[in-house]
Amino acid sequence: MILLAVNDLKCQYHTDGHTVNAVDGVSFNIEPGEILGIVGESGSGKTTIAISIMRLLADSASVSGTVFFDGTDLALLPETELDKIRWKEIAIVFQNSLEVLNPVMTIADQVIEPMIRHGMVSVNEARARCADLFLLVGLDEAWMDVYPHQLSGGMRQRALLAMALACNPRLLILDEVTSALDAFTRKEIRDLLVDLQKTRGYSMIVISHDITFVSSLASRLLVLYAGRVVEAGLTRDILNGPRHPYTRGLVHATPDIFIYKDLWGIPGDSPVGDRHKGCPFNSRCTQSIDICRKNPPLLQPCGESREIACHRGGIAMLLKAEDLRFSYQLPDGKALHAVNGVNIEVYEGEVLSIVGQTGSGKSTLAHILAGIINPDKGSVRFMNGNVQGGTMGDHFKGVQIVFQDPFSSTSNRFTVLDAVREPLDINRIGSPEERLNMAREALELVRLPSTGMFLKKYCGELSGGQRQRVALARAVVMQPKLLIADEITSALDVSTAANVMRLLKGLQNRRGFAMISISHDLTLTLKIADRIAVLNDGKIVETGNAHDVMLTPSDEYTKRLVGSRIGLCCHEHTNGEHDFLRDESQHYPGDANV
Amino acid sequence: MNGNDRNTLIYRFVITLLVILAINFFLPRMMPGDPFSTLSSDIEGEDVIIMTEEQRQYFIHYYGMDLPLHEQFFLYLANMAKGDFGQSIYYKLPVTRVILLHLPWTILIVLSATAMSTIIGIIIGTISARNRKKGSDRFMMAGLIAFAEIPSFLLGIILLLIFSVQFRLFPLAGAITPFAHYTSLLDQVWDIAHHAFLPIITLSLAQLTGVYLLTRNTLITVSTKDYIRTAVAKGIGEKTVWTRHALRNALLPVVTRTGFMIGLMMGGAVLVETVFSYPGIGLTLRSAVVNRDYALIQGILLIVAVAILLCNLVVDRVYRQLDPRVTE
Repeated sequence: MILLAVNDLKCQYHTDGHTVNAVDGVSFNIEPGEILGIVGESGSGKTTIAISIMRLLADSASVSGTVFFDGTDLALLPETELDKIRWKEIAIVFQNSLEVLNPVMTIADQVIEPMIRHGMVSVNEARARCADLFLLVGLDEAWMDVYPHQLSGGMRQRALLAMALACNPRLLILDEVTSALDAFTRKEIRDLLVDLQKTRGYSMIVISHDITFVSSLASRLLVLYAGRVVEAGLTRDILNGPRHPYTRGLVHATPDIFIYKDLWGIPGDSPVGDRHKGCPFNSRCTQSIDICRKNPPLLQPCGESREIACHRGGIAMLLKAEDLRFSYQLPDGKALHAVNGVNIEVYEGEVLSIVGQTGSGKSTLAHILAGIINPDKGSVRFMNGNVQGGTMGDHFKGVQIVFQDPFSSTSNRFTVLDAVREPLDINRIGSPEERLNMAREALELVRLPSTGMFLKKYCGELSGGQRQRVALARAVVMQPKLLIADEITSALDVSTAANVMRLLKGLQNRRGFAMISISHDLTLTLKIADRIAVLNDGKIVETGNAHDVMLTPSDEYTKRLVGSRIGLCCHEHTNGEHDFLRDESQHYPGDANV
Repeated sequence: MNGNDRNTLIYRFVITLLVILAINFFLPRMMPGDPFSTLSSDIEGEDVIIMTEEQRQYFIHYYGMDLPLHEQFFLYLANMAKGDFGQSIYYKLPVTRVILLHLPWTILIVLSATAMSTIIGIIIGTISARNRKKGSDRFMMAGLIAFAEIPSFLLGIILLLIFSVQFRLFPLAGAITPFAHYTSLLDQVWDIAHHAFLPIITLSLAQLTGVYLLTRNTLITVSTKDYIRTAVAKGIGEKTVWTRHALRNALLPVVTRTGFMIGLMMGGAVLVETVFSYPGIGLTLRSAVVNRDYALIQGILLIVAVAILLCNLVVDRVYRQLDPRVTE
């Protein structure tokens, strides 16, 4: 049974000659008792959906599509019939603002008004019921006879909720109910809503940009972008494995989910206004292809109860390595299996961190993935091409690697300009002038001077941090799709390392390339990583979302790694530090000299 | 309101009153001539008395106008403080009595006109706002704005010509039928209403467009507010939305305006009363000015000024009652 069925809803606002597509073909169903979440950034059309369900849009807006409530098409009902459904069957908690309540009527009058209108209670009983509602939403009865401006933001939110519950609606729409609330109140409201849903069986649509709040309530999510649904599915599936680049950006920018990571939003702004020809997310997407600019993608099923609107079928795989093996011959004739059966996947625009202690095979793996050394066995495929033979680094949009030690990766005798321009020179890309410009741009990107004096400096004259940036510029100048950063900060002091790391992450975020960051430093890794793969003895022992690996490590080795790195600063127990020292001396003798 | 605020308010009133008193005193005396050198009268058929210089000096001395101006001013203030408005030179009566004789007529037409223009203005403003951008709205807008451009005295003359001269429906002048003997109270009320009708209509029409436009425009602004959307969402019906939610909010500025207009109309009544020879305070002021009847000019101007002040005070109070957001 379906309570609300929205089908191909389109809303356009017409203002001064131009048209804004606020909602562009949205469909969804809600079953009785279900909580549906709609997330999206501001301007994505969330509120328009809410108010168009109740047919509250201004006359200047045009609406098409159908909204069936309990089998009745609301669009066909005359206003008088609609008024019988409004608030009695479908009520809405509007986004909190001073303007949303009538400034010259008391709160109680406004809460009571629909009750009496819809014949819920007699005039005499109304006040008592209003007091009950106040109690329910945790608002003192004393506030019944005040005016809206006398309430605080949180109290007003509760009053709005009490008003929405006045007629015991079957469907409750909640529009940004937490945006003005502090963390405590937010949690209280959430608990109250969960409770209401359980005891009264309301269906709810929870609309918010606050993905954490929505996810804590809704069993299903719609991700809205520029008035279109880009991804739909079960909440836990979407949070654990976002498939659309936009959803991933949204999830990754949520500090409640990625508690350790630095905050990086999705670069660019959502398109406003005119009808976009192609995919609306195209301008901010890291994996856009020709068709993305021409046709908007349709929402298509992918997997169980999951839908996604992306021409590339969601976040595309960039690099796939299968069963990689590599061993070194030791002098005593034994083989050291540095990489021992590694399977790894890297997706568009993500930061994958490979962590492990020294000697775990990280660098060897990095070199194989970059195509610098050939594995004994296995294959590495990059965008359907083979990485082996080192051909992925000789053109734009390929694979680039930045090495651990900047002092040996750039020649002392090269000038800065020569060092940065070298890959272009070798691969004969562009005219000499273009090469110079590209080199300058690359230097600007890594925040180094791009003018005369500095260009003529010899690399040998530079500091460690500057030299690592030159190395980065050398990689960036080739506009890679995938950048492999092999312990690039280990040779730098803490502050320089922090600067280089932020610079790199910033570049990655802005330019949208994927990155494999190889590090033994778990804390630093957590600041930038989307996913983590833990390497031990040439094998990947655990892989997953950075926060999952961090919070709930499943592998014994990962647990030790996590314990050793974070334990030092977090343990306040008397013997915490000693534990750590003892642990390290027992398990990681090699770590001391890193 | 605490004691301190009340004191400030009283100081402000006292200062305003002093300024008004000073202007009232000096302004009439800045006009050429004096009460005794009027050579001709504007009022037809009245005997013009030409005084000899000797007689003139006698009267000037009699009314204390030979004293230095500042002494006259302080004397005037002292008398005012005692509640003595002085003696009208023209009517040979105390100013207070002259004012009391004529003020009720003005109050009658001003209050009636205010009530009428406000009620009708709100009604047609609401109709217009609800039919926004439709034919009836555009028609009303254009018509009323054009109408508002006609000066009230001209409007008065036109109405007088049509309804009194042409159709003889209303009397030409006065507030009551002279020497009438009323058989009943109803008879008397009818006579008064009959005389007052055209002046009231003229005054109302002059105010109507303002009220109409303010109501219409405020309603349109209010109707886009979020709380109106909330009210619609509650399914309480269009009528309740418009009356209880939209109009209730839109009336706030209309109330303010109406209050201020009462005061201003007291002054504006001069022209309309002249046209209809309606014996209100406006007509009296006119003859006082013509005759340089200093004491009477001062008295009337003071009454008008005080009326405006009082209206402002009342508006302030009423607004506090209507809008809970105004801090007490």
